Amino acid sequence: MKKNPLTLTIGLLLIFIVGLLLFVYQVRTSEVVVVTRFGKPDRSEVKPGPYLRFPWPIENVHRFDQRVQNFEDKFTEGTTRDGFTLLSSVYVGWRIVDPKVFYPNFAASSEPIMAAEQLLDGRLSQAKASIAGKHLLTDFLSSQGEGNKFVDIENEILAAVQSELRTNSYGLKIEFLGIKRLGLPESVTQSVFERMQSERKLLADKLQWDGESEAQKIRSEADRRAADIIANASGEAVRIQGLGEAEAAKSLAVFQQNPDLAAFIFRLSALEGSLNQRSILIFDQNTPPFDILRGASTNLLHK
Amino acid sequence: MVEDQHTHDEVLESALDTPMDAESQALSEALRSSFGIVKLVMVLLIAVFFGSGFFTVGPQEQAMIIRLGNPVGGHRALLGPGLHWSLPYPIDEHIKVPITAIQKVTSTVGWYATTPEQEMAGTEPPVYGNQPINPLVDGYVLTADRNIIHARATLTYHISDPVGYVFNFVSASNSVQNALDNALLSAGSTFNVDDILTRNVTGFKEAVLRRATELLAKENMGIEVDDCQVRSTRPRQLKDAFESVLKALDTRGKTLNNARNYENQTVSRASADAQSLTNSAESDRVRMVNEITSQAQRFNELLPKYRENPNLFVQQRLSETMGRVLTNVQDKIFLTESTDGKPKELRLMLNREKPKPAAETKP
Repeated sequence: MKKNPLTLTIGLLLIFIVGLLLFVYQVRTSEVVVVTRFGKPDRSEVKPGPYLRFPWPIENVHRFDQRVQNFEDKFTEGTTRDGFTLLSSVYVGWRIVDPKVFYPNFAASSEPIMAAEQLLDGRLSQAKASIAGKHLLTDFLSSQGEGNKFVDIENEILAAVQSELRTNSYGLKIEFLGIKRLGLPESVTQSVFERMQSERKLLADKLQWDGESEAQKIRSEADRRAADIIANASGEAVRIQGLGEAEAAKSLAVFQQNPDLAAFIFRLSALEGSLNQRSILIFDQNTPPFDILRGASTNLLHK
Repeated sequence: MVEDQHTHDEVLESALDTPMDAESQALSEALRSSFGIVKLVMVLLIAVFFGSGFFTVGPQEQAMIIRLGNPVGGHRALLGPGLHWSLPYPIDEHIKVPITAIQKVTSTVGWYATTPEQEMAGTEPPVYGNQPINPLVDGYVLTADRNIIHARATLTYHISDPVGYVFNFVSASNSVQNALDNALLSAGSTFNVDDILTRNVTGFKEAVLRRATELLAKENMGIEVDDCQVRSTRPRQLKDAFESVLKALDTRGKTLNNARNYENQTVSRASADAQSLTNSAESDRVRMVNEITSQAQRFNELLPKYRENPNLFVQQRLSETMGRVLTNVQDKIFLTESTDGKPKELRLMLNREKPKPAAETKP
């Protein structure tokens, strides 16, 4: 039987594939790799791509996730500069930047990431405590205008941990850090509640009194406006009256011709006007025309 | 296993080179048949090798192909649900990521512990009086005026840079959640309790959103925030206290409304009164002017007659008027002169209920 070119091709291909599997490995973007030769770290690869290796047992490839790991430390107590106890926990995003340094530090553990996080936990607690001790409670909690330093505090903790990690190189780097929880000791919350309760009471009372005094203000303002309106109207009425009188005064010239007659006519009409309804008139015999009953009119007879 | 196959292959090739005899022919027969099997196995192996590149993507996930360590396709690298193929390892690799179009995270700090049932029913776990909060059980947010409240933020976002989202973060959604928690906390630390709960709810929400967006941008998460919802409430322990403030607010509103009603009524009544005042003044004026005018007219008519004989005229007018007046008067009392010529005294009792100086009529 002759050599079959197809068989040869397939054979070569298989050799190639096996070689590929044995001598080539891939580094992903998300990974960093440490290659150990006979157990000793030989080189590390940070850039993604295919790399050559000697097959096991000569060389061993250790892969580490180089993506940002989330870690949250314990909720621990700290004391502020002004003596308040504050519970806090922070989160960090950290990543392995130098696997060759990272590997020997944490290789002993079966979970190198967790071992590294344990280390971080300790460092973070220290940094938190020391930074909290430098700040007042109002630096954590106060409105924007009153010197809230929330973000500054985070940056200070980050700087402290970072400098710590720089001096003792662990091959890892903290990308970002933030406060995740803030709290008060359980016993303190009760007194906070009591304070809040009295604040609420004050607020409720204030609202009530404010409302009442506001209402009072509205009422008295209304009364004042009403009085103003009436006063204005009275003034207007007087003015109208004056107008009428001025107009009437024009007619006085007519009466000037004979004031006696005018007075007489006015008195007559006043008399008539005052006695026109349901009135009782008491008079004696001197009142004309009843003087006639007394015999005053006998003058006429004597004439 | 592949290595085994490799060595078999070499054995076969050397066997085929030897000259043939009856024995070796039998051997070659046997070898040929086994060689056929080996060929089949080799073809199968190749097929398996390339077939290993097939993979499926489920409905709640997406996939990416990594060629020689780098993601294929840049920003549009995500493969949707279905069957896909990549070159076999070590050239290509594929990874699956649980990504849906819209991502949603809810803050984990700041809210009291609830069960899903309570969450559904919208009820709060019971507390007694001023029961202190155990920070390990119930979350809360400390406000700028050092009060305790509960707040919860929900952030909706979509992934704008899937490569960054997947290859920069072990758990990107956890990172988003951390940023959201931090945003909630830091915003809470700058707002007073009343601003968060009532006076400036939107302002607080915007502060949370602003801080979260800022953090996410700084951390290069490769996401875009769509929406942020913030819910906040008083501690359950202080339900009554907070309600009393609401009640006071309500009462205040009512009191003010009453006052405003009073204001409206008073002012409009005053306006009406004022109107009637001026109206009556106006009508008085008209009447007075008319009266004077008509009297002047009458005077003008009477004056010539009076001038003719003033005395007679007066007598006549007087008697005439008296006559008219007396017919109208209801009661007339006529007093005769007493015999001694002095005027008679007449006493009248008027308005017994309200004593007033008794009017005396004098002749």
